[in-house]
Amino acid sequence: MKTRDRILVTSLTLFNEEGEAHTTTIDIANELDISPGNLYYHFKGKDQIIAELFHQYEVALSGTLAAPIEVPLGSGRGHVEDNWYYLYVVLEEMYQYRFLYHNLDDILHRYPDISRRFRRLMQLKRATLFAICGALTRQSVIDAEDQQLLSLVDNMTLVLNFWLNYDQLLYGQRDPQMTIHQGVLQLLTMVAPYLGEEQMSFYRDCENIYANMLAADED
Amino acid sequence: MKDDKNKVTDKAGEIAKNIWLAGVGAYGKAVDEAQGRLEKAGVEPPKLFRDLVKAGAALEEEARDALVAGQSARSSVEDRINRVRDNFNLQRPARGEDLLALHEKIDRLANKVDALTTALAEQSTVKPARKKATRKKAAARKTATTRKKATTRKTAPSRSKATARTAPGRKTTRKT
Repeated sequence: MKTRDRILVTSLTLFNEEGEAHTTTIDIANELDISPGNLYYHFKGKDQIIAELFHQYEVALSGTLAAPIEVPLGSGRGHVEDNWYYLYVVLEEMYQYRFLYHNLDDILHRYPDISRRFRRLMQLKRATLFAICGALTRQSVIDAEDQQLLSLVDNMTLVLNFWLNYDQLLYGQRDPQMTIHQGVLQLLTMVAPYLGEEQMSFYRDCENIYANMLAADED
Repeated sequence: MKDDKNKVTDKAGEIAKNIWLAGVGAYGKAVDEAQGRLEKAGVEPPKLFRDLVKAGAALEEEARDALVAGQSARSSVEDRINRVRDNFNLQRPARGEDLLALHEKIDRLANKVDALTTALAEQSTVKPARKKATRKKAAARKTATTRKKATTRKTAPSRSKATARTAPGRKTTRKT
């Protein structure tokens, strides 16, 4: 791996685990066992590293979020579950860059450029959830009035966007699987009232799995 | 009633698409680079199924390797959804239908293994002599050509010094 890429990977790990605010370029250089001068040759400061990481995140998540807008998930194959699995994929991707969400206000305040692009990413999340819920309504998987649908989408966007922050405040660092799976379950909880009896089984499966994970975690 | 609903959801889809186009249309879909990093967040499946899945993965990989040469990878979002689905199915308490599917999968895998072993047996009994010979020949040819190249390369600098500006002349010497 090139030094530049190694710097990015290590920075991401440190930001995620130690917090972005507490991590300096010196820490990053130390962790990599390179001189601060060498790091400076690739990035002129932490700002540049964060800008680059955010760009990576933006590109990756935008691509993922665009997928259900272009073509409804699981259409044609009758796999409604694909929509729920998809939420897992999105949360996983957000989890990779969780440092942004753990300290959102502060980071957005310090980096106005990222703030603007982050708002766009949030709009995209909303649009994606809108597309998913719209498709589910057309497929008669969920039964909701228009106004209900709009509120549902906003609520889901809210939970999706702040889930990682909420989870960290409540539990600190814990098994990523727990965080992500419970996030999906939480999103499903909001859709559940509009689901038919048939589709509820997936929601119950999710509940069971989460209960099992909790039990395993306590051992 | 039904028509009304369809109209609104269509409009919703339109709005969603527009937001997307306005907001992020400028960015490509480089999802692949994130994929490697996502792999390590994979779910640890229960022991019972792990070996079966491993065996299946190995066989599928062989089959895929053959296909991949021509085909590009399928949409990565779909791949990742499938991966999550697989992991999810492993975590979910088993049901009757799952067991049936599992039996079918075992049968399919067993058939594949049988087919592979017979294919291997045939290969090892019929072809080895001829294969080795051709390989040797090919290898010999290869070393010969590399040797040729090496010699021309070695001589080239000395000649190019002498005929530094007569490029056409150099070309003819390389040909011979």
